[in-house]
Amino acid sequence: MIDFNGLVDSFYTALYRFALSLSRRESDAADLVQQTFYIWALKGHQLRDESKVKTWLFMTLYREFLARRRHDDRFIDLIDGDTRLIDAPHLSPAAVDALDAATVQEALHQLDARYRAPLTLFYMQQHSYREIADILSIPLGTVMSRISRGKAELRKALENSIEYDARKVVHMERRQVHG
Amino acid sequence: MDRREARSILSLHRADEPVNDERLAQAKELAAKDPELARWWAEDQEIDDAIATQLAAVSVPADLKARLTSRAKPLATPQSRWRRPALLAVAAIVVLAVFFGLWKGPLKPAASLADYRAEMVRFFSVWQPLDLETNNLTDINRFLAKSGAPSGFDIPQPLRDLEPVGCTKLRFRGEDVAVICFKRGNGKLAHLFVINRKAIHGLGPSPNFANQGNWATAAWARGDCDYLLTVQGDQREAAKLIGNS
Repeated sequence: MIDFNGLVDSFYTALYRFALSLSRRESDAADLVQQTFYIWALKGHQLRDESKVKTWLFMTLYREFLARRRHDDRFIDLIDGDTRLIDAPHLSPAAVDALDAATVQEALHQLDARYRAPLTLFYMQQHSYREIADILSIPLGTVMSRISRGKAELRKALENSIEYDARKVVHMERRQVHG
Repeated sequence: MDRREARSILSLHRADEPVNDERLAQAKELAAKDPELARWWAEDQEIDDAIATQLAAVSVPADLKARLTSRAKPLATPQSRWRRPALLAVAAIVVLAVFFGLWKGPLKPAASLADYRAEMVRFFSVWQPLDLETNNLTDINRFLAKSGAPSGFDIPQPLRDLEPVGCTKLRFRGEDVAVICFKRGNGKLAHLFVINRKAIHGLGPSPNFANQGNWATAAWARGDCDYLLTVQGDQREAAKLIGNS
């Protein structure tokens, strides 16, 4: 039998970070995590293999996210046939030094959701490619190519974000206008 | 296999990862013979590690764990219990739904105004994109109605006199929240949050004023909805905008 508190303790931070990368909003991310544990409460007992709990939770959260997005008619995840891998550009040492959590989060949010989801799971360093494929319900080759292309896109976004101060100034101005 | 192909494969793997793929084995073999490729791979992993470290540093709401664990402990239910009479199962589901915020009926527990206010203010304490940017209140109402959020609610006249900027839909404890933003001048905004009245505990028609950080807030209930106005400034600003000055 799986202890609920132990389950929450083990996975809620990772689930929240995954949810935040998908939904972009703190309130939506917290809601997705809450909904995931609620679904576990209803259906978790059906899971016979306890070693699959982590994959089950992430898969449930992702499906819940997709269900909400489809309800809003904003997101359709098409599986592309292109499984080519690409050679991601390296960040400059200065850019690596300047990395912080907010910059990484913001750069991730600039990516298309089909790259963002596998890439976030990849950078969590908790899942095998097979598990990522199971969570996202896409073929293994597609996972690899999306991570490969996603890494290239993310690094470009990070380099731009750190390199061009002007972009940050514009962002700050927008924040001020909105306050 | 050339160096470019090897890079694209190595970039997806770690040096200490077991080799279970022929192409990865070839790429690793190439890296073992090619110092430049080996250096490139090491640098690639350092960049990935730096990104992973920062992703792991993204903060999680301090109260999230408490919100999850302070509810009922449904998971201790052994499988055999599900064989109990159907009535017991239905009762359990209702209890869970109540605690986890999905129940839409009258038994749903209301959240406190303090929690709601804190979460809404935190949401707009950093810049957030709006779902719809428009200065047309009719379009905003139409959008909110289509999205399933509260719509067609009563907006105080002083607020209605301001130019809207747009709207967005949030979720709070399983309930949709409609947010409309208005221009106040001096580059400042006012945010009106509207949620189903059953969602928040103890709000009445008289406005409840409070400060939350740099924000002045006013909350009140009217009809089927609970309203929360947030503005940067003092409470007089909030009072003026809800016609309570």
